[in-house]
Amino acid sequence: MTSEQRSNNWRTWTIAITGMGARADNPAPGLAVARCLRQHPEFRGRLIALSYDALDAGLYDDHACDEAYLLPYPSLGEAALLERLHEIKSKVTVDAIVPCLDAELDNLQRLQPALAELGIASLLPDRKTLTTRSKENLPALGAATGVATPATRIVNDMGFFDTCHQMGWSYPLVIKGRVYGAHVVRNANEAKTACWRIAQQWGYPILVQRFIPGHEVNLTAVCDGESTLLGAVMMRKRGTTDQGKAWSGITIADQELLEMAETLTRHLSWRGPLEVEALRGEDGKLYLVELNPRFPSWIYMSHAVGRNLPALLMHLLAREQCPALPAAKTGTLFIRHARDLAVDFERWAAMATTGNHASPPA
Amino acid sequence: MADSGLSPSRKSLDPGRLEHLAVSRTGLVFDPVSGLSFTVNTTGLTILELLQSGVSTEEVAHRLTEIYAVTLESATAAVAGFSQQLAQSIP
Repeated sequence: MTSEQRSNNWRTWTIAITGMGARADNPAPGLAVARCLRQHPEFRGRLIALSYDALDAGLYDDHACDEAYLLPYPSLGEAALLERLHEIKSKVTVDAIVPCLDAELDNLQRLQPALAELGIASLLPDRKTLTTRSKENLPALGAATGVATPATRIVNDMGFFDTCHQMGWSYPLVIKGRVYGAHVVRNANEAKTACWRIAQQWGYPILVQRFIPGHEVNLTAVCDGESTLLGAVMMRKRGTTDQGKAWSGITIADQELLEMAETLTRHLSWRGPLEVEALRGEDGKLYLVELNPRFPSWIYMSHAVGRNLPALLMHLLAREQCPALPAAKTGTLFIRHARDLAVDFERWAAMATTGNHASPPA
Repeated sequence: MADSGLSPSRKSLDPGRLEHLAVSRTGLVFDPVSGLSFTVNTTGLTILELLQSGVSTEEVAHRLTEIYAVTLESATAAVAGFSQQLAQSIP
């Protein structure tokens, strides 16, 4: 199916969503994106869960998605991903895709022409933007836009952590992977352990960032094709996991954070969903910590405060005029919780061996 | 008012910020700009609601003497102390 054959009415589309992992301490955003679309009063279409591990809970949550398929891991490259998308398209219509994981965005970006050929709509930043906003390039981005960022450098030699104070890097420090992982460390031993953990799970390079005392505030929004920031929703973290991930948060209206997001997206000619992670330092300054090219795991809050951003993205993909949005309601709290999902043996087995199960058991 | 963890430097109340505070009937106060929340007791709730409705601090003190059995002097001191603590809680 080509893009010409796709219905203009996104409300009846079949929408594929990635990032269906739901680890209690660090859930991916996919399930929350699915909940937003499912609960939109006008949506009557179908949702397809795409994920990388047969133990990702979103593959089996029938309230969230209608069908589910495994994808090849991003490290296998865009050719393997495209082949799998062709297989999926031979079984089911896919009108749009909402990528929710940082690690898959490079592949999906390279596949933009192929996705369009397959009739799958998507809205992503271009490759240059994806590179410019990467963690290791954040200080340069900050310098170019006048946005404050914590000093960041790549570490190639673990000996750095024994002598870093001589170079003006005092503990505590934040150790980060290029794509995932962040640990606050207070001495060289903790730093080396954190590096090892991140490298084992996510590979190199390892980044070290200055620790800024303060509290984290985040913003999510969608940018249209002209880099106009739409539907901003902001929250302050109230409770975090031991990984620093939000366990609870509350919606706020921080004008400075909004202006930071507008400055960055204008400079980068941003397209598609985004999350700005920032720190309000004890010095009162606002620091950019990360700029993510996807919806965050707390995106369900956008639906809760009257600004359903995944639905807004669908308006853009369908080239519909975006609806006027109400002001985001402040003071709305989210509290994350974990729950067990019972999965029939045959469904799990089908997913693990064939990469999909078409429908829930009768 | 619960400890907000903020420095005790003197600061005056910003009327704009005061206006936007969300105040529950049970005394939970939420600042939508910073995301901070804190609790106030019944007297604090009375003072806060009066201040939000645009009543001057002097008039708030007078109203307190009508509601509670306190002198104008102690009511004035209470309103001043509360206002100062409130200003520190909405950075």
